[in-house]
Amino acid sequence: MGKIEWAMWANEQALASGLILLTGGIVGVAGQFRGWQFAAYAVAAGVFVCLLEYPRSKRSKGTSVERTGQYCFTVCVKSFGPLTRNYYVRAFLHAAICVPGGFMLATVLGCVCLGIASIIYFVAAIRGEHWEPILPRKESRMPVAESIKNPPQNPPPRPPAETRRKRVDDLEDAAYDNPISVTDN
Amino acid sequence: MVVSVRSWVANEGGKHLVLMLWLAANTWLFLKTFLLYSTGQQYHYLYKMLGPGLCISRASASVLNLNCSLVLLPMCRSLLTFVRGSHTVSSRKTRRLLDKSKTFHVACGVAICIFSVVHVSAHLVNVINFSVSYSDDFPALNLARYRGEVRHTHIPGVTGVLLVLILFLMFTSSSYCVRVSNYEIFWYTHNLFIVFYIILMVHMVGGALKYQTNIEAHPPGCLRANQSGAEQLGEELEQGEDEERRCREEAHFQPHYPQTWLWVSGPLCLYCAERFYRYIRSCDPVTIVTVIRHPCDVIELRMLKKNFKARPGQYIVLNCPGVSSFENHPFTLTTCPTENKETFGIHLRVVGDWTERFTQLLLPKPRIDLEILPMVQQRRYPNDGWKGFRLQRLYFVWVCRELQSFYWFAELLCAVHHKLWQENRPDYFNLKLFISQTDNLQEKYRPLTSRLLVGRPRWKLLLDEIAKTNNNKRVGVFCCGPKGISRTLHRLCNSARSSGTTFEFNKESFS
Repeated sequence: MGKIEWAMWANEQALASGLILLTGGIVGVAGQFRGWQFAAYAVAAGVFVCLLEYPRSKRSKGTSVERTGQYCFTVCVKSFGPLTRNYYVRAFLHAAICVPGGFMLATVLGCVCLGIASIIYFVAAIRGEHWEPILPRKESRMPVAESIKNPPQNPPPRPPAETRRKRVDDLEDAAYDNPISVTDN
Repeated sequence: MVVSVRSWVANEGGKHLVLMLWLAANTWLFLKTFLLYSTGQQYHYLYKMLGPGLCISRASASVLNLNCSLVLLPMCRSLLTFVRGSHTVSSRKTRRLLDKSKTFHVACGVAICIFSVVHVSAHLVNVINFSVSYSDDFPALNLARYRGEVRHTHIPGVTGVLLVLILFLMFTSSSYCVRVSNYEIFWYTHNLFIVFYIILMVHMVGGALKYQTNIEAHPPGCLRANQSGAEQLGEELEQGEDEERRCREEAHFQPHYPQTWLWVSGPLCLYCAERFYRYIRSCDPVTIVTVIRHPCDVIELRMLKKNFKARPGQYIVLNCPGVSSFENHPFTLTTCPTENKETFGIHLRVVGDWTERFTQLLLPKPRIDLEILPMVQQRRYPNDGWKGFRLQRLYFVWVCRELQSFYWFAELLCAVHHKLWQENRPDYFNLKLFISQTDNLQEKYRPLTSRLLVGRPRWKLLLDEIAKTNNNKRVGVFCCGPKGISRTLHRLCNSARSSGTTFEFNKESFS
């Protein structure tokens, strides 16, 4: 349990909570529920949380898997500097965002889920994790023609010149004799 | 790359057929329940109150019932292994389908999530409609206690919120990156399924939706005591006709009994029995006979266990209470027990904290003042256990980063090669070894060094060569490696080939 990266799980949870908030808000607004203003807020909050959480952080150890098309989001989120880098800020931000969702039935699920994500981010922050952008590395040039081996340095083994010369008078003896015995190598 | 119909059908046909059947079952269930609630006589008044929200919520609930029961079945691994190995399921197609059980589990899981969203949204609309269309004619039908009350503190509401929370935790921790980086989070949250199922079975207690029980005595839409047909039609009607359409008694409503347990209890009991069986089997102790250290942090472990049978290609799950009581790690068997030799073996590479601690327990650090006695190593030609395989030729392609890695299996590969050379079957076993970096090559393992190729293999050329030499045959491709190789091979196996060879793609992954 020592090397768990809590932030990765919190990120998945926060993204899912954003979607749940968004869906609940849409249902609330479309059904014209009582208190639909909270639902409208939930739509905006859901979109904001999704945009903030879409770019995955770089793992401290191991390979990081990007989400599709996250580069532009990474650039935007990176530009806020320490506000988005620090997970304490994120934990408190999510806790604050989720509170208005609790006042309406349609958005209460999103509120609870985002609250859980905020707690996990808090745990991640205590463990000292922070958000690192995944930036594309310059790919080192692949060596040209990887599979072509070095050309041979020596000519192939051949018997001495006398044996090679064509002997028309003695055809039997002129047959080529393999100097090396055939092995299973 | 052009996809060949025959190759695609051989590789993907079975899976897609099962997928179509499953989708058809879900669609049929959804439509049947939807129509029942929208046109059924017993739901007439309820439908008038709630509208299509009623039908959507109930239809999605029945689809959820089906998927919650199906999702457990692919996880009964011991049962599936037994079915797969039995002679009743001897077709290779069925065996390859059973290999895809985890994909089916994921499909059912995704369906559960999607339909939960639909179900919750529809019920939110229902709650509002219960409040807005509070019925004074049929007070028993209402959920709200008075007009305008949005009631959510009843059993289905509270259990529903808990269910969604558990599902949220399970779903967010089962994404690929969380599984790969922190498997424990995935494993421990996924074991919350038992809480999920218990709450699911009481979800419908105190049902909010009621159906009418006395349809013959009170046909829906009949005239009530304080109404008359003349008021509605504005015309004088015959007395008799009026009487016919009058209700003989008041409408009686009754909530549904919880039905989820009918769907879910069978698979749940089966899965619990499966876990219990696994636990019982794991209680037998395992003796470690040999521990061999190979280059590049690889340990070979030979073990003995009573009544242990295994076939090539299977894997075992190791649990070492000295390292961690709850962690179970899968390893493919590299040596299977045979009639003559009962030991079985695995090769494990020290990558994470569990393997590191395990290796430390097995091989304590050498101290300078202690004399290290060599472990007894048994080397034998793999003569036994070679019966009953229809294999005609084997191509072994192994890609490693450095030369030292090949030494893990050097002895075994050379032994196999020598055995086949003695039996005059030199073309049975074709070795192709690839390394990314060259190094000093040891002369001891000549059969390996003369077959080394530098650089990554060009899979298309390799498969083309194999296809040309094996016309009109079925070639099984077994890939154990990173996703990149697996995807490329899968695509190549599906592509068109002029030589009539079909490549059947199989892969092994534990994440």
